[in-house]
Amino acid sequence: MSAIAVRTRPAKRARNRRLSRIIRSPRLARVLSWIAFLVIWQVSIPLLPTLLVPTPAEVAEFMWDEIRGDTLAPQTVYQAFGTSLGRLSLGLAIAFAIGLPIGLLMGLSKKASWFGHDFVVVGLAMPSLVWALIAAMWFGFGTIAPLITVVLAAWTFVAINVAEGVRNVPKDLLDMGKAYGVTRFDSIRYVILPSLMPFFFAALRYALANAWKGLVLAELFASTNGAGWTIKFWYDAHRAQGIIGYALFFVIFALIVERLIFGRLSAYVFRWRPQPGARKEGE
Amino acid sequence: MGTISVQNLRKEFVSDDSTVVALENASFEVSGHEFVSVVGPSGCGKSTLLNILSGIEMPTSGVVEITEGGRDARLGYVFQAARLLPWRSVIDNMLFVQEEHDAEARARCERYLDMVELGHTQKKWPGQLSGGMQQRVGIARAFSIEPDVLLMDEPFSHLDAITSRTLRRELHELWDKTGKTVLFVTHDVSEAVELSTRILLFAKGGHLQDDIPVDLPFPRDPASDEVALAKAELLRKFESLDLVAT
Repeated sequence: MSAIAVRTRPAKRARNRRLSRIIRSPRLARVLSWIAFLVIWQVSIPLLPTLLVPTPAEVAEFMWDEIRGDTLAPQTVYQAFGTSLGRLSLGLAIAFAIGLPIGLLMGLSKKASWFGHDFVVVGLAMPSLVWALIAAMWFGFGTIAPLITVVLAAWTFVAINVAEGVRNVPKDLLDMGKAYGVTRFDSIRYVILPSLMPFFFAALRYALANAWKGLVLAELFASTNGAGWTIKFWYDAHRAQGIIGYALFFVIFALIVERLIFGRLSAYVFRWRPQPGARKEGE
Repeated sequence: MGTISVQNLRKEFVSDDSTVVALENASFEVSGHEFVSVVGPSGCGKSTLLNILSGIEMPTSGVVEITEGGRDARLGYVFQAARLLPWRSVIDNMLFVQEEHDAEARARCERYLDMVELGHTQKKWPGQLSGGMQQRVGIARAFSIEPDVLLMDEPFSHLDAITSRTLRRELHELWDKTGKTVLFVTHDVSEAVELSTRILLFAKGGHLQDDIPVDLPFPRDPASDEVALAKAELLRKFESLDLVAT
């Protein structure tokens, strides 16, 4: 008997420790917060004075229908996001084509930096809504206004980050290359471009976030399709589950872009960075 | 073997409101299988001298010639910090400074990495290595281009005493085996006495004060009486010339 007791005590202690770890884990807290939110939402529906607040189940049903392609809107969720993503990609490509050379110029020349500084700062501070309204007034309904909004909302983020990156190119590494007679081409390829990468990623993240907000607004004002316009369709149809469902699709889209694209790309590009707490060889 | 010839070298740094003279009228020659240390207090223009010799900076006036058999000599440079590209593996850092990136260059890089006992780190990132190991990669990189002249700027100053001593021994062995001409900047008198065949003494303001031969047999034990005596003599010279940093 005593032998069994000796064996079970550590097992029990280990189980208790595991349980205590789970209870204290941040993941459990996050899951509980979402469950609490959904429960409060579901329970409070009958207490609210309006019929326009859908239950979580209604929103889930709406989203499931959309995922299956069963929709009342002119575009399915795939078509709507496809249209918007096409505009976003093209707009971002144009924003990079404009922002990169301007950023390079501002990073390399103080005079160019003084010249362009105020315009870039104004661009950074301007709400996307303003760009969306201006583009809608100038270009009317269609593809051009959302596209122009994306470009205007994104290029300044590209320019400012690239300029900052160029100013931060490690001079000591360039000098090292110079001392060894490394060619200019190799210095650009192996020193300057890799050192710009963190700034390039920052530019892409900020430009994408701002451009996406601008795009949704521009589609709402000046388009007849796309994700922004489809939200307005559900608003006009007084279907709150459509608006909330689409908002959740935006969240899912943002998570996919962040985790599957940026996260993986960044993990690959910056794989040389030491892991926090990792022991270095020879220490 | 390479020859360094420096005549009346002067370097000024001019800013908006002041001019600082880093080197003043320096002249000296280093040739053959020599290991010459440049010693002096902080701010005496030691690093500026190496930067001018390597082409990183231009002199204000004077003539610098680094030649090997009538042609421009090939230079290797070991910096205070290893200056490795953090986003390239150890072997790719070595290949970065090679004229050709072919199999022969790779084999040469591998051979010098083996010589500093880091052959197994070829595929590692610099950030995975300790400071001492990174500096050894820096030394192997400099030797791997098979330079005629090797410039070294306080390469062990950031390292702990034990690592620094090990690397000094490795450096001496490499110099002995390869017969390179070395110009070695340091503020550490012991290091200069342990490694050099000659010591150039610089004062603040970039004046070359003295050119002292070190006639002691190699290998030199830093704890030996001869090295201690030579070091004491050098320090006395420092004091007589008022070179001791205050």
